[in-house]
Amino acid sequence: MGANIYRNKKPALAFLLPAFLFMIVFLYYPFFKNILNSFMHLKQLGASATEFNTPWYTNYEEMLHDPYVWTSVKNTIIMMLVTLVGQVGIAIVLALMVDNIGRGKQFFRTVFFFPIVISATALGLMFNLIFLRDKGMINQILEILGKQNLTDWKAEGIALVTMMAPVMWQYVGFYFVILVTGLNNISDELYEAARIDGATALQRVRYISVPLLHNVICTCSVLAVTGALKVFDLPWVMFPKGMPLKSTFLTGTYMYYHTMETKNVDYGAALAVLIVVLGVVLAKIVNAIFREKDY
Amino acid sequence: MKRKLMATVLAGAMALSVTACGGGNTASTGGTEDAGTQAPAADAAADAGEEDAGAPAAETSGSVELVVTTTFAGEDSNAQNYKDAVKGWEAETGNAVVDTSATADETFKTRVATDFETGSEPDVLFFFNGADSNSFIEAGKVVSIDEIRAEYPDYASNMNEDLIAASLVDGKKYAVPANGYWEAMFVNTEILEEAGVAMPGADYTMDQFKADCEKIKAAGYAPIAAALGNIPHYWWEFAIFNNQSPATHLEIPESAGDENGQAWVAGMNDIKELYELGYFPENTLSATDDETFAMFTEGKAAFLIDGSWKVGGIVNSCQSDPNDPTTLDSAKLDKFDVTYVPGKGDRKATDLIGGLSSGYFITRKAWDDPAKRAAAVSFVEYLTSDEMVPKFAQHGASALKNAPEVDSSQFNSLQIKAMNMMAGTTSLTGAVQDLFSGDCRVSTFDGMPEIVTGRVAAEDAVAEGLEAYHNQ
Repeated sequence: MGANIYRNKKPALAFLLPAFLFMIVFLYYPFFKNILNSFMHLKQLGASATEFNTPWYTNYEEMLHDPYVWTSVKNTIIMMLVTLVGQVGIAIVLALMVDNIGRGKQFFRTVFFFPIVISATALGLMFNLIFLRDKGMINQILEILGKQNLTDWKAEGIALVTMMAPVMWQYVGFYFVILVTGLNNISDELYEAARIDGATALQRVRYISVPLLHNVICTCSVLAVTGALKVFDLPWVMFPKGMPLKSTFLTGTYMYYHTMETKNVDYGAALAVLIVVLGVVLAKIVNAIFREKDY
Repeated sequence: MKRKLMATVLAGAMALSVTACGGGNTASTGGTEDAGTQAPAADAAADAGEEDAGAPAAETSGSVELVVTTTFAGEDSNAQNYKDAVKGWEAETGNAVVDTSATADETFKTRVATDFETGSEPDVLFFFNGADSNSFIEAGKVVSIDEIRAEYPDYASNMNEDLIAASLVDGKKYAVPANGYWEAMFVNTEILEEAGVAMPGADYTMDQFKADCEKIKAAGYAPIAAALGNIPHYWWEFAIFNNQSPATHLEIPESAGDENGQAWVAGMNDIKELYELGYFPENTLSATDDETFAMFTEGKAAFLIDGSWKVGGIVNSCQSDPNDPTTLDSAKLDKFDVTYVPGKGDRKATDLIGGLSSGYFITRKAWDDPAKRAAAVSFVEYLTSDEMVPKFAQHGASALKNAPEVDSSQFNSLQIKAMNMMAGTTSLTGAVQDLFSGDCRVSTFDGMPEIVTGRVAAEDAVAEGLEAYHNQ
């Protein structure tokens, strides 16, 4: 009798139902509705679409000829690479260094993790001041160092770097904490044995830490790449409307621009579909590249 | 048995949490209960209000919560006046205002339009009465002044009927105007002195302006404070106006090829010429409007074309505490002036853009709610009363029938200069961009950087915008 309660699945279903309904209402319904809207004529956010575009695939056809779609896709892919190298790469280096110090590990964990807890909008405003042409922190420092002219850090040639640096900086701590936790799980006995065998510190990292961190690095890489697809708030605060000359659009900010600024809501919906497709494809590729190993 | 008990406890906890989630509804509908508990105090305040001779005509229950959205926010000259007025109305009636005001930009307009579409519109809004209000007027979501007057005959009766703008949708009047606006050219006179340039006057021409810009540039300053990549709106308006006349400015061209369309193209090319001459700040394509405005107030750029609301922003920049008028540095403020926008062709410098482009709307939702109808009417009457409008209009125009003499004794130097400047205007024409709203603006507003850098031909950008407009 007592074991029967584990065979009866009905109570579990009852508990799952609220979450399931929540997902239906707030995720799956909007998702499929958005796909439908991308074929409709819709120029006002919140309005009901009443007719299909003529032809119904107009928005997708327009996407092929829209140079800013390709700018945004290109920038998003650059953002992914920057995220991989800049966030996960730097996080690995920091984690290995912190793992090798005797005292202050907790201090560095907190310091490196701290940017994560600050709102991206607040960070965007702060970096706006840092990169301000007249005269933000960086230009003031350069002036002290003798530079005569003010640098426009948001000018066309350099804007992408200015946009990506804060994004990179913000999330390094997140991957750092995951990697440090992974390093803590490696048995000290392995390091001890290597030390007795005469391995140098660099060799211990090369032949023990990095191989045993492989799965953690894979997880971080998948998180970083998929996370790069969602980056929105900080770039939008720093470079609204893809400024300058629409050169800093990411897929997310370009979708938002059309939905909220140009009132081209159906085109925004089509761009959202593109983001989903891009996300699925890239996630598959990343999963294939960074496949976890069984030890 | 213990497990069964635990399962029961967990199930109970889950049920309770679900109920608690539902409690959100209770809390939200509980607004009525909250209002009920506040009623005695509110009633008392309302009673006090009834004794006040200046109380609005519409009687309110004294426990109503009105959701109001306006553009009196940010650097708007009337942001503080509005806050004070809301407090005054709340104290007088015992009602409460949930204020959702924000700076007037495209995001704000989208938010308002979306709120209407999704049924979460405010009860009262101070909003643009041009094409931006078309969508919710077409949907019948605001109440016309005539319909309100059927129940409240004195509603907006203190306004000059000819100055209440009719809707572009059906010709009916919906919005009660409060204060007018003008657009003109603010000047940092300190830079003009440094560059040896005389203060522009009523006969200022575009050629003189370019000559002055050259001197200012040679002196090491940016002649024009404008962020073409962010807010090109004022230059867009006047550049087109300079190729038209007050009589033709509000006519939207049929195509880029017709006479009016060519005037628009010429206007875009005029901005391009100024850009190529290097009269805008070096970072005009990557800077925000706030950054170039700061250049103007900090003495790095000489001219700023903007609206009457910017007087407040300039004054604030001269205060050590922007919220405390007593901290005003009068000597610094005296270095700012305001004058006419350089003219060209059939447009004299003294022909300015201005008018009464916004007003108070009462939404159908509030009107149909018996608890809110009187409060909404009372609120608008309070904000558009003979006593209140002059506070908002300041040195500008209003639609009052009996506009009182402007008491300039409380004005600061820039307000007095603005008043004197306005006294010399030869005409005030509405902004054509108020009629040309939505995605049709994108090619020439957001596309301004592409136009001035020559990546897109002005003719193509204008044609694209006009096509979008005529397809709306």
